[in-house]
Amino acid sequence: MESSETKNADYGFRIKGNPVLLYKDRSLAADESTHQMEKALRQMSMEYYVLDRCMQCGICSSACPNALLKKENIFTPRTFIEKTRLGLLDLNSDDLWSCTHCGSCRIACPFDIPLPDVMAQLRHLVVEKGAGYVPVSIKRSISSIASCGNPWKEGAMDRKKWLCATGLPETDGYDERRVCVFLGCLAGYDRRARQTAEAVIRILQTVGVPFKILADEEVCCGDTVRRIGDFSTAEKVEKLNRKNIIKNNVETMYVLSPHCFSAFKDVRRSDAMENIRTDLLIELIYRLFIGGAFHFTARIEKKVTFHDPCFLSKHLGIINQPREILRGIPGIEILEMKHHGKRSLCCGGGGGGIWRDAVKGERLSEIRLDEAMETGAQTVVTSCPYCLYMLEDARRGDEKYQNLEIVDLFEFIGEGISHENH
Amino acid sequence: MTEKNPCIWKKPAPMMNKKMMKSKVLIIGGGVTGLVAAVSLDELGIDSIIVEKEPELGGKVKKYSRVFPDFRSGKTITQNLIAKIQKSSRVRSVVSTSVASVERVNGWYVVTDSNDTKYKVKAIILACGFDVFDARCQDEYGYGVYPNVVNSLELEALLEAQELQGCSLVRPSDGNPANRIAIIFCVGSRSRRLGNPYCSRICCSYSTKQAIEIIEKNSDASVTCFYMDIRTYDRGFEEMYQYAQELGVKYVRGRVSECSALPNGDIQVRAENTLLSKPVQGIFDIVSLSVGMMPCNDAAELAELFGIERSDDGFFTRKDRFFFQHDTVKEGIFLAGSVTGLKPIKDCLLEGTSVSSRVAAYLNRNK
Repeated sequence: MESSETKNADYGFRIKGNPVLLYKDRSLAADESTHQMEKALRQMSMEYYVLDRCMQCGICSSACPNALLKKENIFTPRTFIEKTRLGLLDLNSDDLWSCTHCGSCRIACPFDIPLPDVMAQLRHLVVEKGAGYVPVSIKRSISSIASCGNPWKEGAMDRKKWLCATGLPETDGYDERRVCVFLGCLAGYDRRARQTAEAVIRILQTVGVPFKILADEEVCCGDTVRRIGDFSTAEKVEKLNRKNIIKNNVETMYVLSPHCFSAFKDVRRSDAMENIRTDLLIELIYRLFIGGAFHFTARIEKKVTFHDPCFLSKHLGIINQPREILRGIPGIEILEMKHHGKRSLCCGGGGGGIWRDAVKGERLSEIRLDEAMETGAQTVVTSCPYCLYMLEDARRGDEKYQNLEIVDLFEFIGEGISHENH
Repeated sequence: MTEKNPCIWKKPAPMMNKKMMKSKVLIIGGGVTGLVAAVSLDELGIDSIIVEKEPELGGKVKKYSRVFPDFRSGKTITQNLIAKIQKSSRVRSVVSTSVASVERVNGWYVVTDSNDTKYKVKAIILACGFDVFDARCQDEYGYGVYPNVVNSLELEALLEAQELQGCSLVRPSDGNPANRIAIIFCVGSRSRRLGNPYCSRICCSYSTKQAIEIIEKNSDASVTCFYMDIRTYDRGFEEMYQYAQELGVKYVRGRVSECSALPNGDIQVRAENTLLSKPVQGIFDIVSLSVGMMPCNDAAELAELFGIERSDDGFFTRKDRFFFQHDTVKEGIFLAGSVTGLKPIKDCLLEGTSVSSRVAAYLNRNK
C-alpha cells in the first residue's frame, strides 16, 4: 500500500527534475509488485520519464525493423513502452534484447521519445543490478571486453600481429601531422573486416595522408557495451582508450566504425580529449574525394546497392556522401533498395544484436538481403564493420544469397585506387 | 460623428486605387468568420470593409463539397453569406489584396494595403483563418511524390467532382475507379517532431464525413481509417462516427509509418494495429492524408504589423481566455475564428457573431 506522502514526493521529484538516489535494494527482483517495479524504474533515470509522453500511436512498431520479421510475438516498441511505464515489463523476457538501437522509432516518433536511451537504462538495471535475464552470449562478450578489451577474449597483440603479417605499415609519417586511425575490434580481429582495414591503409598510403594505426594500443570503444547497459565496463574501456590516445599525442583521430564514433562523440566531451579532433573516416575520404585528392580511373562494371548503416544514416545523417563516392567510380550503377537513406532497415547488429544468436529465418539481416536481391544488384556495399559482419553472416547462411557479394565501401575505393597505380 | 452610407461597392476599380476608404471596422479575411462578422455588424448598423487576399470571398469553406455533421454543402453557406453582404449597403469588400502597413492616428487605424489603398477605421477584426499542414514535411507518406497520395483538401475536391459528375471516385494517377481508400488521421497534428503538438480538433470529424460520403456514393468502396484516437467531440459528431462504422468504414488504431507505391500505382501502407498488437499492411487505390491545420502562413507577419502576440503554437493570443476571448493586448484589434485555435465551421460562424458585439461595445465606448 502506498501512502499519499510517497505520491506527493514522487510528484515533486518530477516537477523539480532533480536527480534522486538509485534504488537502494541492489537485488531488485522483477516479481515484486508492479508498483515497486515502476517506482524503481522511475528512480533509475530521467530518461524513463520521456515514456510518459507516449500516446501509443504505434508508428514506432511499424517503423521498427522487427515488425518485418515473420514470427510470432515480435518485439514492438509501443507495447514495450506501455508495459514499462505501467511497471509490467518482464525483465526476464527477450523483449529487452530485441532492440538493435537502430533509431527508426526515434525518427518516426511524433514526440521524440529516445527509446534507445531508455533501453540502455533498462538493460543497465538487468546487467549491472541483476534484475533479470541476460542472454549468455551477451554476458560472455561483456566479460571478455572487461577482461581482454575485445569481445572474443583475443590477445591484444593479435591486432598488431595480423598487421605485420600483411606487410602493411602500421604507421606512415605519423610524426608530422599526428593523425591516427581507430579501427575498432571487428576490423582488428574479424577475418572479413580485416580486409576493410587493409583497404583503408592502402587508401591512406595512396592519397598520401600520414597516419598511425593504434593497433595493440586500442581496446573496445565501449559503445555497444554502453548500449547493452554495462556502464561501468564502458567507462573502463573508454578510460583506457583515452589514456592511449593521449599518450600518442594524437591531434586528429579518424574512426572507421560509426559505432565507435558514437562512443567517441561522448568521450570527446572530457577535458583531456578536448583538443583532439575526432571524425569519421568516411568523412575524411569524402573530403579528399571532393577535393580531388584521388579519383577512379579503373572501371568497375557492377550493379551495386548501398546499405545505409543505421549509425551513419539515422544517427548522423550521412546519406549522400558514400553514394557520391560510389558514383565517382566509372562503370558503377547504383540501385536503391526499397528502404534506403534515413528509412533504411537495420542489419540487426547494433545495440548488442551482433552478439545475440538469432535463429535462421528470424534475422533482420535476411530481410535486408531480400531487399537487396529485389533490386537485382550483384553487390551490396555498406560502410560499417557491423553491417558487413551481419550481412556476410546472413549471406553465408542461405543458398539463395550465394551470388550476392557484400563489400565495404573502403574495399571498393581501395580497388579503384590500386588499379590506378598499376 | 456620423458617416454617409457609401454606395454599393463590389469590385475594386483601378481608379479607386490610392484612395482613402473610411469605415468603422476593417475585417481582415473574407472567409466564413469574416463574412458573418460583417453581416452581424451590418445588422447592428455598423459599417465595415472586408479585405481578402484571394480573388474570391468565401475562404476555404466554399471548396468543401459537404460539411459535417448535417452534410449540407459548403458552397451554399458561403453563397448565402456573400449574397447578404452584397445586398447590404454597409459592407464593402476588397479582394486580391493584403495588409502592408498599419498606423495609429488620433484613435483611428490607418491601414495601407498592397494596392496602396488606405483604410481609415476605428476597429480591426483579424479573421485570417488557418492554413493546412504541408504533408511534404512528413516525407514517409510520399505526398507530392506518389500521385495517389492526396491530402484531405484534394480528396474533398475529388468528392466534389464525384458529386457534380455523378461518377465514382477515380485515382489521380490513371483515372481508374478507386474502390480501396485509406484515410490517415493526424498528419501534421499531435507531433512535436513537426512542431504541431496540438490536436487539430476537426480532422477526425471531417475525415469521417469524407468516409461516409465515399461509401454512400459507392457501396463497393472500402474505406480504412488509420487513427490514433477518435475525437468526434461535439454534438452530432459522435453519432456521425457511429453511423460511419455502421456503414462499414473500417477503423484501425495505429499511426502509419510508411506509404510506398507499387509499380501499378497502388499505394502500400504499413502500420500497427495497436489494438491487436499486430503489424498490418494494406494496398489502396487512394491514400488521403487528413492534414492538420496551422496558423495562417502570414500569421507572423500580421502579428508584427499589428503588434499583437502569438503563443508557442503560432496562434494569436487572446487578452483573456475566459472573459476577453476576442480582445487582444492592442486596443481596437479583435480576433475571431481559427486565428485563436482551430474550430469547426459552426463555431467560426458563432465567433463571427460574437466578435461583432465586442466591436459594437468598443465603438460605443470610443465614439
